[in-house]
Amino acid sequence: MTEQQLQDREHFANMLEKVAASQDTQAFQAIYNHFGPLIKAFGVSSGLHYQGDHLPEELVQEVMMTVWRKAGQFDRRKAAPSTWIFTIARNQRIDLLRKLSKYQNDVDADDVWDLEGDTDLFGEVRESRIQTHVKNELNHLPIEQKQIVAKVFLEDKSHQEVASELNLPLGTVKSRVRLAMQKLKTHLGANEL
Amino acid sequence: MSNWHPTNDQLLEFASGTGSSAMSIAISTHLHFCQACRHQVHDNESMAAVLFEEQTRADLAGDGFDRLMSRIQNEPTVSAPKAPKAPSRFPPVIEKLIHKDTESLDWRSPMKNLRVSQLLKDETGLILGLHHMKSGGRVPHHTHRGNEISVVIEGGFSDEMGSYGPGDFIHLAGEHFHSPQADADGDCWLLSLVEAPVKLTGPLGWLVNPFLKP
Ligand SMILES: [Zn+2]
Repeated sequence: MTEQQLQDREHFANMLEKVAASQDTQAFQAIYNHFGPLIKAFGVSSGLHYQGDHLPEELVQEVMMTVWRKAGQFDRRKAAPSTWIFTIARNQRIDLLRKLSKYQNDVDADDVWDLEGDTDLFGEVRESRIQTHVKNELNHLPIEQKQIVAKVFLEDKSHQEVASELNLPLGTVKSRVRLAMQKLKTHLGANEL
Repeated sequence: MSNWHPTNDQLLEFASGTGSSAMSIAISTHLHFCQACRHQVHDNESMAAVLFEEQTRADLAGDGFDRLMSRIQNEPTVSAPKAPKAPSRFPPVIEKLIHKDTESLDWRSPMKNLRVSQLLKDETGLILGLHHMKSGGRVPHHTHRGNEISVVIEGGFSDEMGSYGPGDFIHLAGEHFHSPQADADGDCWLLSLVEAPVKLTGPLGWLVNPFLKP
């Protein structure tokens, strides 16, 4: 990981802990200024604006409310600030889309995607190795693999939906994802993955 | 630890939040029992976070932070870390779908030694059901047309393909013909994921899909 990324990771972990410990609004604003524009971009990639112009901004509000409420659950030994905030944004997107749809059921995203995740501590080292590696390798991926990886991770599309959009057979999408994932994960011992 | 797992594609769709509701609940249930897959989901989330951070930033509304703070002023306390969850018999998401207790569910018995209850039908038409087999009971031979997924949540069973225990995530591909038998030392409870019936597939159609009324 670059020096800058390590510093960011440290920095925002500290900010989250300040919010948890003393409801520090300056720390919270620093988190908002950094992550807010990313959450909004994620809302746009997910196509939220097609259902309402205000929805990407609404997603930012909902995610940041959750960050404020749940800052006490953030544990830097388990997840990077970016990973923790990504999982909140994913869950809030699911709940927001559910609210807008005719289909309802009794479970919320947090019931299914447990934000506390694995109770395994010391995932930090493993995670930062993965993130460094992914960041380096991403730029070496063939363009069609990089495009597909970005779609399956961020655009709220199943593999099947990505296949329809790109007019490709489902098998081609799956194999491109698989190839890309292999490259993004090489150099990490097989037994670690 | 479980021996039968979701595919990598299914775990990736779970991590990116794009699977259907019923499929996501089935995977979440497996994760409750399987540390290896929890790790893989976490790795996928870590990768997603890198892509998330590399996005082109979108400009925020000028009054966004002020609006946020005024909402927060109306609920000023940062919640303390949650107390550990009370131990429950089944994974928490399944407990929530059962609501009260298993006896209050609406049961139907499509085959000898098996009763089933529908927990949820999702937005794609997948039906998530709870199956209960009495200890030692053998369900008569039947086929699964189309794909079906079973996740054992208590006890275990065996069929011609193998034996399964808690957490096992079993893909029954089309034309799988089997006669499962619950382990002798206790009842077996499992989740099943099937496509909603479109039409009867023959005189034994109701056997193929237990949620079809005979
Ligand atoms: Zn597993």
